Amino acid sequence: MGIPYKIFLCFCLCLATLPYAAKAEDSSVDNASNDLRQSREKAVQVVTACDGRKKVIVEGCQEGEAMPEQKARKVAELLMTLMEFCEDEIIAKLPKTGMFIQLSVNGMPYVTVGDTEEIPLILVHGGKAHTEREKKIWAAEMNRMITEGYALFHSPGLGKNGISCDMCHPDASNTHPETYPKYQTQMNKAVLLRDMINWCIENPMEGDKLAEDDQKMKAVEAYIISARAGKKLEPGKH
Amino acid sequence: MTRTHREERGNLMQRVMEMMIHCFMVYCIFCFLQPAAFPQPEGDSYVLSLPPGVLEPVIPENNPLTKEKIALGRNLYFDKRLSADDTISCATCHDPQKGFADGRTVAVGIKGQKGPRNSPTVLNAAFFDTQFWDGRALTLEDQAKQPIVNPKEMGMPSHDALVEKISNIPGYRTSFKTVFGTDKITIDHIVTAIASFERTLISFNAPFDRFIAGKNDAISDSAQRGWKLFQGKARCITCHEFNRSYPFFTNNKFHNVGVAMKGEDFGSLARKAASSGADPSLLAQEEASAELGRYLVTKEPKDIGAFKTSGLRNIALTAPYMHDGSELTLESVIEFYNKGGVSNPNLDGGIRPLNLTEDEKKDLVEFMKSLTSDDLPESGATVK
Amino acid sequence: MSTESNGKNERLKHINFGGVSRREFLKTTMKAGVVVASSEYMLNPSQSMVQQVAMKSGAEEFVFAYISDSHLLARGKEHRFARALTKAVEDVNAMKPQPDFILYGGDLAQLGLRDEFSLGKEIIAPLKPKLYMMVGEHDWYYDMGEAWKEFFGKPTCSFDHKGVHFVVLNSILVEDYWSEKKMTPMERMLFMAQLDNPRGRPFTVGEEQRKWLKEDLAGVGRGTPVVVFSHSPLYKYYRPWNFWTDDAEEVQALLAPFKSVTVIHGHTHQVLTNKIKNVVFHGMLSTAWPWPYAPEGIPRLTVQMDRADPFNQFDGTGWGTAAVTARGKIDKTYNLWDRNPMVVSYEKLLTVKEQVAGPSY
Repeated sequence: MGIPYKIFLCFCLCLATLPYAAKAEDSSVDNASNDLRQSREKAVQVVTACDGRKKVIVEGCQEGEAMPEQKARKVAELLMTLMEFCEDEIIAKLPKTGMFIQLSVNGMPYVTVGDTEEIPLILVHGGKAHTEREKKIWAAEMNRMITEGYALFHSPGLGKNGISCDMCHPDASNTHPETYPKYQTQMNKAVLLRDMINWCIENPMEGDKLAEDDQKMKAVEAYIISARAGKKLEPGKH
Repeated sequence: MTRTHREERGNLMQRVMEMMIHCFMVYCIFCFLQPAAFPQPEGDSYVLSLPPGVLEPVIPENNPLTKEKIALGRNLYFDKRLSADDTISCATCHDPQKGFADGRTVAVGIKGQKGPRNSPTVLNAAFFDTQFWDGRALTLEDQAKQPIVNPKEMGMPSHDALVEKISNIPGYRTSFKTVFGTDKITIDHIVTAIASFERTLISFNAPFDRFIAGKNDAISDSAQRGWKLFQGKARCITCHEFNRSYPFFTNNKFHNVGVAMKGEDFGSLARKAASSGADPSLLAQEEASAELGRYLVTKEPKDIGAFKTSGLRNIALTAPYMHDGSELTLESVIEFYNKGGVSNPNLDGGIRPLNLTEDEKKDLVEFMKSLTSDDLPESGATVK
Repeated sequence: MSTESNGKNERLKHINFGGVSRREFLKTTMKAGVVVASSEYMLNPSQSMVQQVAMKSGAEEFVFAYISDSHLLARGKEHRFARALTKAVEDVNAMKPQPDFILYGGDLAQLGLRDEFSLGKEIIAPLKPKLYMMVGEHDWYYDMGEAWKEFFGKPTCSFDHKGVHFVVLNSILVEDYWSEKKMTPMERMLFMAQLDNPRGRPFTVGEEQRKWLKEDLAGVGRGTPVVVFSHSPLYKYYRPWNFWTDDAEEVQALLAPFKSVTVIHGHTHQVLTNKIKNVVFHGMLSTAWPWPYAPEGIPRLTVQMDRADPFNQFDGTGWGTAAVTARGKIDKTYNLWDRNPMVVSYEKLLTVKEQVAGPSY
């Protein structure tokens, strides 16, 4: 999504705000709607997305006044994020200064978010941010799975001839999980990463292959995928 | 009005002329673009019938399949007059009653002479990248040229000699004229016709095909276990490639599995072959140098003693096995691979002992037996 | 884990002699540097052109062979690693003429166990020429070299051969991290054996050996060619996999005064070529398995080999020879089983300007 597109979107959004004043009169009387009603009294400008369900109240900017370009971009980005994510009615307040945005989903009380990237997290949780406890659990459990995979990957236990995965794949190099499904000439068919893991277990490592739903298989996959995340992909070379 | 009328008529004439010129030019270009090999008179084109999803074989652009050419090729294929003493036809070594092979250890040509290698089947050969055990021919046309003048096979002194012999047979004169539109027969006419016939010798419809298509009871439990082993523990499928697009059980590559290495000094053989600069097709006729396999073609050390992976369709019909016919049964082939081939300095690194149990060996044989087609082409043909 | 690699196309093709005499062919190909598959080069790779010419051109020229990184497990002679080492021994024994001597490049064992050494000793016993053994980290860290020294003698030595000074180093020394952590011998061994160990310690030659080396080289004329055998690369390639010698600069400085210096190293299991100032570095192939090239730091002189097919245990593995020229330079041959051999000549190294493109990992 290039900058010209964003500028175009800004322009559309500005057009969309014109009939706003009339609509605002009909709004219901919850907190967020009160904000909208007061919009003309305060120095705010309200920008509505083309679906009519997402609105941004831009503080420190008069109705009809041309926003500074940076601000306009911010508004456009915010509206796009909101529109991409859900169908709900959302009102966002963009403060005059500072980075905190306030969001009200379907008339619920406002929640504060630091950045547009946090918005999806807020929205899935019905307006509540994840707690530190939740985040710690998730990280620990994910790491447990990866660590289990790391241990399997680095020990000869998956095979029977003393060979382990890391002997050919230090740091999971040459595994390229992002390239599957693909045709593997060793099996002469299109396969998934887990098929190749099993092939390696049976062939170079001379062991017994794992069931596809074996926790060990999942763990090995978890390690490989996490170790290779963000690595450069060069089609034709893998 | 009149003037205008005349002008219009003039314009019309001009347009017709232009159109005719254009047509002529297009015709000229069209003629120019025609395949250059031979003038190809009209013939009923022939479409190969393949199961859905199977890749079409490569048919040379200058040798499109026609019914007339296939019929001519068929006559040539079964005709012993292609050999020096009228005793050997293509079908002698590639006999429809024997899975298009000959059931012998090695091929036997004119005057009872034995060649160095086992006759491979012609069935589905149209789908292979190369022909001969060492892959020295890239097309069936190229392949067909060689046995004709091989002194140990059909033994004609030269291609010209065959052309002359064929040209003197009235029936052939007529059919070559019909197919190729010329009175002057060439060796290329002969081999394109034979190759066209061979391209029709395809076979599917084996119990295993029905199994793959979803009919679980099409093959026995033992054969099903064999198929699993084939893809797994027995390590077959890496070279005997099978998939729905290319269900022929070969990867078209060349491997040294140790069959060739029977106490010979292959190092000195290879050096001799390299320094002689001889034609691989000549070297392949000699018993000793023929064992160098793919090396004869590439002259690359990694190819010493390497031979083409055989397809496995109808394999139960084409004993004995291996490039030299040294394994008499499917059971002995499995045993050969189970012990890890024959150790030699150039043994392919994919070959290793398999530790198969007796039951597993039987299952693999059962699986291979499920690859025999129900409806082989030319089943009514007999070779006299 | 690869489908057919496009890199295959980059593999150097067979060179046909045509009407060129063998001698001319050799000259040309040696200039071209990397040669694959001469037609004369058959089952017995010892008869490579490089060697034949070397044997013809003067008394001071000679060939030695190397076998390296077999990583034997005490699982009998039918284990794939044992079979591979056996194959290398058979290949070297088939060389005609025989090499002047053989270097074993380290990591004979996988876990430094006596049973592994005794299996290894049995397999290499049939080698006919003089054998120099070098130590690798897999040989060392179970009992800090005790068993290895019993089997094979001193890990550090030097000798002179046909006017060339050879040095064998123990370059896999690391600082003691195990005492504090109270590791068992096997824990220590496994810790060292893991290539991608993020807590691994870098290899060194160490102060004591550097002092020995300085004294050893003091008696060697500056014009005498020097060849150093080292298990670790003696330069800094990729730290996370310990393709690395931490005191490489100090060792290189000791070698700096000499006109012609070549380091032959193990550990990296790949075709690997480097040149730093006056020192040329050649990696050795492993008989057991190839390591992938590191994600960064590959020396620009290296012609990378394609990724090996894991179906084929002889793909990307092998052994090799080094032909010492009259000027004391080395033309290195990688005898890659199941591929064609590769020769990296000294002449070529002088002409390479650009990084040679290779596969990514």
